[in-house]
Amino acid sequence: MTLRLVTLAVLIVAAGASWAFSGFFGKDLLTEIAILAIFAMSLDLLAGYTGMVSLGHAAFFGVGAYGMAAAGSLLGLGGLPAMAVAVAAAMALALIVGVFVVRLKGVFFIMITLAVGQMVHAWVFRSEALGGDDGMGGIIRPDLGTIGLVLDDPADFALFALVLAFLSFLALDLVARSPFGRLLTAIHQSESRARALGCPVERYKLGAYVIAAAFAGLAGALAAQRDYFVSPEFLTWTVSGEVLIVVIVGGMGSLLGPVIGAAVVTLLKHQLSDVTTYWMFFLGLFFVLVVMFADRGLYGALRRLKRRREAAT
Amino acid sequence: MALTDPAFVAIQVLNAFQLASLLFLLSVGLSVVFGLMNFINLAHGTLYMVGAYVGYAVAQASGSFWLALVLAPVAVALLGAILHWLLLARLQAANPMKQVLATFGLIFMGLDAVRWVWGSQSHGLEAPAGLDGSVTLLGQTYPVYRLFVIAVGAAVAVGLYLVLERTRLGARVRAGVDDRDMAAALGIDIGRLFFGVFCLGCGLAGLAGVVAAPVLSVYPGMNMSVLVLALIVVVVGGPGSLSGAVIGSLLIALVQTFGQVFAPALASVAIYAAMAIVLLVRPGGLIPLKGRS
Repeated sequence: MTLRLVTLAVLIVAAGASWAFSGFFGKDLLTEIAILAIFAMSLDLLAGYTGMVSLGHAAFFGVGAYGMAAAGSLLGLGGLPAMAVAVAAAMALALIVGVFVVRLKGVFFIMITLAVGQMVHAWVFRSEALGGDDGMGGIIRPDLGTIGLVLDDPADFALFALVLAFLSFLALDLVARSPFGRLLTAIHQSESRARALGCPVERYKLGAYVIAAAFAGLAGALAAQRDYFVSPEFLTWTVSGEVLIVVIVGGMGSLLGPVIGAAVVTLLKHQLSDVTTYWMFFLGLFFVLVVMFADRGLYGALRRLKRRREAAT
Repeated sequence: MALTDPAFVAIQVLNAFQLASLLFLLSVGLSVVFGLMNFINLAHGTLYMVGAYVGYAVAQASGSFWLALVLAPVAVALLGAILHWLLLARLQAANPMKQVLATFGLIFMGLDAVRWVWGSQSHGLEAPAGLDGSVTLLGQTYPVYRLFVIAVGAAVAVGLYLVLERTRLGARVRAGVDDRDMAAALGIDIGRLFFGVFCLGCGLAGLAGVVAAPVLSVYPGMNMSVLVLALIVVVVGGPGSLSGAVIGSLLIALVQTFGQVFAPALASVAIYAAMAIVLLVRPGGLIPLKGRS
């Protein structure tokens, strides 16, 4: 059995068990992990597979969240259509922004994504239609009564988020394994080689950018439903930064790494915030140490462990 | 209030110069370090914030703004040296991406560190005696301190110009920016040069922080908007050059100041649009480096 399948099975069993045996607080935590996992996997497609390290991914998360809120309270749409609007809004923004940013590489890409993220934040912060810095309420969760789920119940909502996280993993994994995904990896390894082989590099990068934005938007829409409320906080640079931390801590380019990272960082954050109000300091320190000494992340460490085990036998 | 009122326009131009002065102090170090090592310090805004806080603390303890003006940049330059030794020197062999990400982690640490020491509320720093009054210009009153901010930026720009263009050290830095490998082959120690420029840049960020403190207040999070503006200046002006930093600072400050007055909703977007256009049309910035395309 491959490490990937074992890890996936362990994650599913762990999620299922903690859903079955946890109380209200545990289910809330599980929802948070599931949402962050979707968000982190979407960034992994960009950063890990395509080599586009973005520091502005919160823009799409926030647009998803605001799209959910606006579709519900301004357009009067139901839960599921509102989620579709949220994802479509994030994709539309990615398409417009992406045309410009995919031309840039490395450090320049980092800078422009940071700037775009701050721009979207500044715009929402001032927008009267979106409630400015007060944020927006009036969000409805989808009605899934036909399959027996009452999403206003925390347990059912946690299940909904977990299933969506699993489906997102399957979808992104499919993308990564497809010829399209293989080419993204090829671009990551050597952009000029991919170009020389006739690959329209910019178009592929734009495709990855839009797909990543779609899943970030989905995560944002779920986050809006979790809180029944959205605010410009969803769009701040710390959100972009945290999700990048999650991806790097978990291990880039594996999709499973970000899921592990989401669980570890969320639990760590909760443990730390019990002990100190200054948990961000320690999260930042943890991140610096990971970048310096273990840039393959937790999943990378697992992989190495397995390889060493195999070499020994 | 309109563009037809010359006094009003003059005041706004002065305000823009003041902002440009701060942006120049912040971006020049970032820009030259980027030109030398292809490395962007995302914690640069954090160093600016630390400069403002150290300046505030020194002024509180000693009662002297001037002492703060001297000590804060020195303290921040020292902090830069420590960062270089602990972090950047160890990551230098790896790709610049790792360095950039590590400095990103520092933003989180810096934010909570100042909250820890100085609390979450904002602090004010009084302008020193002699600079706390105002003068009348074209029938409008204008704070003297803002003119002082402009003077500091201009003085640093002239000083850096003389060092870069007229000294052997400056020639080495320019050579390193133009072609790092060739400069290294000629026996210039790029590592030491990088260290020196990095620390100087950190010190200037600290200077910007303490100079800005009496105009803008001192609070946790004051670093982020400024960091993004400084990055835009570096990108628009073109990394690696002094004149690029000067022109970029003036351009961004003018757009920002007049935008805020005439179309506040558009202003924040206009700056990023300016950055996007420059990146697309002239990827090397307005003042591209010779020999690089």
